[in-house]
Amino acid sequence: MATRIKQFARDKGKGIKFYFVSALHRHNGGRARLYRDFAATRSLEIENKYAAKIDAFDYNLKREQLGAALYDFDEETAFNTAVEPVIARKKTALRLKYRARRETLKRAVTKGKITETAAAEALAAAEAENERLLGAFRERLTDRRRAAFTAEYNAARSSAGRLSADDFDAAKTAQVLAYAARQKARCAQKKEVFVRRNSARTARYERREARYLNILRNTETAVSVGLDDGAVLSVRDLCMYFGGIKAVDGLNFDVRKGEIFGLIGPNGAGKTTVFNCITQFYKPTRGEIYFTTKEGKVILLNKEKVHDVILRGIVRTFQNVEVIKEVSVLENLLISAHRQYTSNLFEQMLHLPVLAAEEAVIKARALKVLEFMGLLPYMDWYAFGLPYGVLKKIEIARTLMNNPQLIILDEPAAGLNDTETAELSKLIRRIAKEYDCTILLVEHDMGLVMEVCDRILAIAFGRMLAIGTAGEIQADKSVQAAYLGVDE
Amino acid sequence: MAGLLKNDYLKAVAPRPPAGFTALSRLKKFFAQPANQFLILGALMLVLFLLNKINSNLVPSSIINAVATTFIYATVAIGFCLLLGYSGLASLGTAGFIGIGCYTGFYMMEQAGATYLVALLTALAISLALGIVVGFISLRIEGIYLAILTLGLSEILRNLLMALSSTIKISLANIKLFGVKVDDKQVFLLIVFMFVVLLILTGNLIKSPAGRAMLAMKNSTSAAQAMGISLMKYRLLAFVISTVYAAVGGLMYVMLIPNITTSTSQLFTLATSLNILAAVIIGGSKSLWGTLAGTFIIYGLNATVLNRIAFFSKNPAIIVIVTGLLLILVVMFYPGGLAQMVKGARAFIKRKAAAIRRRRYGDED
Repeated sequence: MATRIKQFARDKGKGIKFYFVSALHRHNGGRARLYRDFAATRSLEIENKYAAKIDAFDYNLKREQLGAALYDFDEETAFNTAVEPVIARKKTALRLKYRARRETLKRAVTKGKITETAAAEALAAAEAENERLLGAFRERLTDRRRAAFTAEYNAARSSAGRLSADDFDAAKTAQVLAYAARQKARCAQKKEVFVRRNSARTARYERREARYLNILRNTETAVSVGLDDGAVLSVRDLCMYFGGIKAVDGLNFDVRKGEIFGLIGPNGAGKTTVFNCITQFYKPTRGEIYFTTKEGKVILLNKEKVHDVILRGIVRTFQNVEVIKEVSVLENLLISAHRQYTSNLFEQMLHLPVLAAEEAVIKARALKVLEFMGLLPYMDWYAFGLPYGVLKKIEIARTLMNNPQLIILDEPAAGLNDTETAELSKLIRRIAKEYDCTILLVEHDMGLVMEVCDRILAIAFGRMLAIGTAGEIQADKSVQAAYLGVDE
Repeated sequence: MAGLLKNDYLKAVAPRPPAGFTALSRLKKFFAQPANQFLILGALMLVLFLLNKINSNLVPSSIINAVATTFIYATVAIGFCLLLGYSGLASLGTAGFIGIGCYTGFYMMEQAGATYLVALLTALAISLALGIVVGFISLRIEGIYLAILTLGLSEILRNLLMALSSTIKISLANIKLFGVKVDDKQVFLLIVFMFVVLLILTGNLIKSPAGRAMLAMKNSTSAAQAMGISLMKYRLLAFVISTVYAAVGGLMYVMLIPNITTSTSQLFTLATSLNILAAVIIGGSKSLWGTLAGTFIIYGLNATVLNRIAFFSKNPAIIVIVTGLLLILVVMFYPGGLAQMVKGARAFIKRKAAAIRRRRYGDED
């Protein structure tokens, strides 16, 4: 079978067979990655389960022990501990009555039926009455229950007397230890079985992945364009016309690996259009966009479908926050990891174990990202109604779910206040460092751009004005003219 | 008495049990699983069936019939719920797709003498193809235009089917169900079985990446695409599911009511499509239980409850008015339907209980 697919792929080059082989490669690669990650997640899960079991056993014993300890108490303390909750309940009931009385008196005073002093007196009388009632109740209760309690106490003492308290404790502790040891052994056994099975599974999928990768290597005609040293994204002669309007007109620029690259320009300069062209929301009228993937392969982005761009390692945020409002914050992150799921529709409809494994692994990943972004407290909240700053953070968190090579931020600071913007600039730097990715951002907030960007490209009317560091851009005459107008 | 004291003492001193290990929390976990809830529904219906079999005074056949009708329409409605509530696509072609199921059942089981399973598979295949066609259309057209287009498609289908045969008549005596001959009573069991299976599958789908992808697509197509969700795949999926479920509903309908004169029947007209739409909206377009409740209000309430009240049985038009009013109220105040109402009520009770607890045990004010 494999050789036949290989043959097909060789013959057809980039045809439909190539599509199938790359899909198979992606699927098997995804599964292999899944089970590699699942090993740690599931092992932890098993450990936690058994730890909880031991805890529960311990708890049940403690309960018994405490029951026994009741008889080790001196009679007075034991009796008081037992009676106290009953008295507390009575006290609460009396207090409620007292409060109701207070309310009626207050109302009577406001209506002018009685004077304030009379009301205060009545209230004091009610309180005294309560005290008296409570005292009487305590006495009554003690009288009524003392005899029965003493009888039970004595009976229990005489029967428990055979075992001293220390011996009893030792016996119980030994029991707990034995149980814990038994459970731990079972846990280890279960883990071992799981690991053995899982590694076999992983190896199988890895083998398949390698096989398909081999076919791809032989067939794929890599783009033979040499990008400049270290360039992640190379935009060449990009044009985007809407009818007669030239939104982007012959734009050239390179984004280098690991840098934070800013794109600025007055309103309507075509910044967002550039983004949409890169992420293939718009198909450019003319020009090429080359991109280096994490594997170091150069591809022509123009040929990608809009929903496949994410597979290549490009993720983006939106100018007007596009968080899915009907689901929780965590689920928003799971949605953004959509392409990491390898289970097909039937596996999802039947909730087969592979889906559970995927959910566990991806959830763990999402939790890590949420922690990084400081969003953990909002995890289970519905995105609907969350503050704007948090929504912006969710959007950025979503991009981090996909191990991105290039993150495109469309006006991340729009609508944020100064402190939030300052926080954002720190965050952007932190992301670039920790996730080892390149960031391309459009922003109107010049403070943020100048502070955070390594290089900046200024455009106006779809054409390049200047490119360079913050200082160079600020000194550039054409940029000043575009923003401030020309002196007459 | 003394035992009581001991318990009080234990409660005061013993540590709280670890989470997940009390009987109550286990029970809660069990009932929180949608699949378990649906299985319990199926079991209850089985009990209903057995009670009817034992003594038809206990559970009259009219109730069994009403439940069966509700389940059939609910099958259609949960498919529609996936389309409207999860994918944000509007369709008024439901009746036409039901018709496909009915006629496939008629031709396969009666004319060709096939078994139920073969008829079911045929209906699935035909409706799947139809769903793909409509799904492709939905990539180009959206909103109200899509609704009108599907309405037109449904009318074409209706007239086409009526031209084929103006009556559908099936003799259950000739049909084998998984190799067993059935009578009209056992059809109820078939309906319950199919419904519960589809309910479980749908419930699982909703709680899986595909369901979330549909929600993402409904909320923001651009965000969905940026996150790698293919609009084509999930729109097709939504339409295929809704047509397939409608066809399965039609197939079951023809088993329940084996004699339909299609030229006079309301089944394939716009009224059915609108009723299903109303049921989904009243019940809550994002909740399967809500959808079932909505369908019951529209199709089952009349036969089971209102007919027994003299006022309603004398003025049957009142029921339609009540349904209309309910629809208006729901759309105005509870866009999430009955499901949202129940959720709101639960939250309200919880809030009130918390307030009472605070007042009773909280610090002195």
